[in-house]
Amino acid sequence: MKMFKNNSLKIFLLKMCAFFAVVFLLDFMIGNLLKNFYFRQQSGYDFLTTHSIEKAKADIVIFGSSRAVNLFNPNIFEKEIGMTCYNAGRVGEPIFYHYAVLKSVLKRFKPKMIVLSFDAGNFSIKQDAYDKLAVLLPYYNKHPELRSIAELKGPHERVKLISNMYPYNSLLLSMIKGNSSYGKGRGNDSNGFRPLKRNFSGPLKTFDYSIEKELDSVKVNTYRLFIQDCINANVQLFIVCPPYMNNPIGADLSVIEGRKLAKEYHINFLDYSRDTFFTKRMELFADFRHLNEKGVELFSNKVTDSIKAINYSAH
Amino acid sequence: MLFNSFHFVYFFIIVTTFYFIMPHRQRWLLLLLSSCYFYMAFVPIYILILGFTIVVDYFAGIYIENAQGKRRKLFLIYSLVANIGILCVFKYYNFINTNFSYLLHGFGLSNPIPYLSILLPIGLSFHTFQAMSYTIEVYRGNQKAERHFGIYALYVMFFPQLVTGPIERPQNLLHQFREKHHFDDDRIFEGLKLMIWGLFKKLVIADRLGIYVNGAYNYVDQQDGMTLLLATIFFSFQVYCDFSGYSDIAIGAAKVLGFDLMANFRRPIFAKSTGEFWKRWHISLSTWFKDYLYFPMGGNKGSVPRWYFNLMVVFLISGLWHGANWTYIIWGGINGFYLVFALMTKKYREKFNSFTGINKFPRLHLFFQILVTFLLITFSRIFFRSQTVEDAFTVIKKILTFKGSVFNNGTAILVYSFFAISFLLIAEFKKEFYTGSFTLSHHKNFWVRNSYYSLLVILIILFGVFDGGQFIYFQF
Repeated sequence: MKMFKNNSLKIFLLKMCAFFAVVFLLDFMIGNLLKNFYFRQQSGYDFLTTHSIEKAKADIVIFGSSRAVNLFNPNIFEKEIGMTCYNAGRVGEPIFYHYAVLKSVLKRFKPKMIVLSFDAGNFSIKQDAYDKLAVLLPYYNKHPELRSIAELKGPHERVKLISNMYPYNSLLLSMIKGNSSYGKGRGNDSNGFRPLKRNFSGPLKTFDYSIEKELDSVKVNTYRLFIQDCINANVQLFIVCPPYMNNPIGADLSVIEGRKLAKEYHINFLDYSRDTFFTKRMELFADFRHLNEKGVELFSNKVTDSIKAINYSAH
Repeated sequence: MLFNSFHFVYFFIIVTTFYFIMPHRQRWLLLLLSSCYFYMAFVPIYILILGFTIVVDYFAGIYIENAQGKRRKLFLIYSLVANIGILCVFKYYNFINTNFSYLLHGFGLSNPIPYLSILLPIGLSFHTFQAMSYTIEVYRGNQKAERHFGIYALYVMFFPQLVTGPIERPQNLLHQFREKHHFDDDRIFEGLKLMIWGLFKKLVIADRLGIYVNGAYNYVDQQDGMTLLLATIFFSFQVYCDFSGYSDIAIGAAKVLGFDLMANFRRPIFAKSTGEFWKRWHISLSTWFKDYLYFPMGGNKGSVPRWYFNLMVVFLISGLWHGANWTYIIWGGINGFYLVFALMTKKYREKFNSFTGINKFPRLHLFFQILVTFLLITFSRIFFRSQTVEDAFTVIKKILTFKGSVFNNGTAILVYSFFAISFLLIAEFKKEFYTGSFTLSHHKNFWVRNSYYSLLVILIILFGVFDGGQFIYFQF
């Protein structure tokens, strides 16, 4: 029985080879060009991530999402505690990102202290937390220590990463900005700290924290690993939950779990999420999740006072 | 199993390889088993529903063919009731029950009928309609009843078009399962090209626009009119690229295996009227409604009011076909109204065109016709996209104020979105108005064609949204 037309299979295979040859060649060339541009950025979020992973060195390193980036002023930490400080937080990133950066940091040097900013809903089940791991893909080949975390993004990441361009998917515009004078000053100021200058004008919303009934076990485990790695590296760890400006109902399951695990490992968990010193003063907030510049000064001072008090009593 | 997943890539390579290695007489079995696997990758248990309709319609077809007189109609009715019954239970039961509760509530009564806690089987409306087209065609004598159970099951379950169509007709598809398909490199490349273009539309355009659209439509109360206006326009392109992208992949995948599925889209963006739009959009469904509902109701044969009534009924049912929600019914109603209104005002519009002299400038006239059609269709899609009727009216109210600024949830999202729409418009414009010229996709030089499709793959890798998820029409 004849299944193939004359030479059809041979022609097909040749054409496919030609097609993939062009794709691989373009992918290799464009991918390497993008890699070069990515790591040459002078500003922007990606620049800050590269700086945190590959260059930043400080006695105190701060981790966390936007509530770390906008609320922890390294200058106040340096002044109050007398150690150098760098804010390695990144807006919108969940615990996976912080743990990946921690691993890279600990591979390079040993900070004296680490501060992890903790958010309500940190362990909630959300797919986008995994999608956001895309920001780690440019470092996948260069930094083997964070591969296991980047692979949490999806079951086929290893296959996708055969492509040299894939790590830079959707990053072209931000890379152009990061390499141009237009992008200068996008967040590369004040050791990673970016204060918010606006004032929150309300209205105050009621937020039912008790809605969440289930936690993402992978996130909880990553948080546990974060604590364990700090302990194993003999680095003092403080976990801090900054304040919110809303009318809360019920307790947040993530905060309860975060506190419980911190207690299990004898780590200090400083919870300001409902501290009335802040929550009664709307003028200290930029929005319901973030303090403004004025609030940050008070908050950073309050955190450093607590750290000093804890360390003083320990000695 | 989604077409835009690695799971499908592996699956398709394995199926295609075995398909061309296996002898012809066993291929139907391979396709049937792979279609079962494909469907069961979603919710395995729902294959039983599919199995039920297949068994019912298989025997209904044979009985209809063998029966005489009124008994033929009776068997057809049994088959239609079984198919529509399944649709009613799985798709419309809770919707009907909810509305019944509202009705009883109006009389101060409570509804004792419980709600069903079930997931809608993927693509239920599509394969149910395809199955119904078989029994109707057998009843009409246009199609012989299929005696081979496996081949009939494959007609309903053929994996490329199982969950989102095109909704095939038995005359077009059934005989193809018996035909011998040789490995033909030209044909395979044609199929693969369509699949790449479909993936491009889905990943680079639809899912990219979806980021902005979801951001706006999921928080309607918090958005300004300008944001919602932009999101609505984006949605119009999104839903087109999402659905036509799926159809392209489906038609391309079938072509690789040697099958020809019917075209489902013909550049609806360039429709000159809403009537023409429905000849270009979701053609397999539009023609289904035309053949099996509109014409049997009398079409345009009766009085003028009856003709308008027929059109409205078809569009209202088409809305309901899309989903068990008043938003879809209103969407269908608006589109029906457009057609009726266009028919009612045809003479006046022609007079107006002569009066203004716009028909002396055919290109300008064409541009306005396309623009107005696009805006009308886009307006109706506010209901299609909104989760509730209240949301839809909120969107309309806010858009009509033309107030506020455009919400920018990342400059990159907007820039990539405009880039994606521009690419689509240029490609479609070329196909619509300059067919055959400046063609890269079908250039006679192999390396030009090759480079064009390589470039599409490169653009998918660079700008595709790989976390975008499902196709919009899966829910139907």
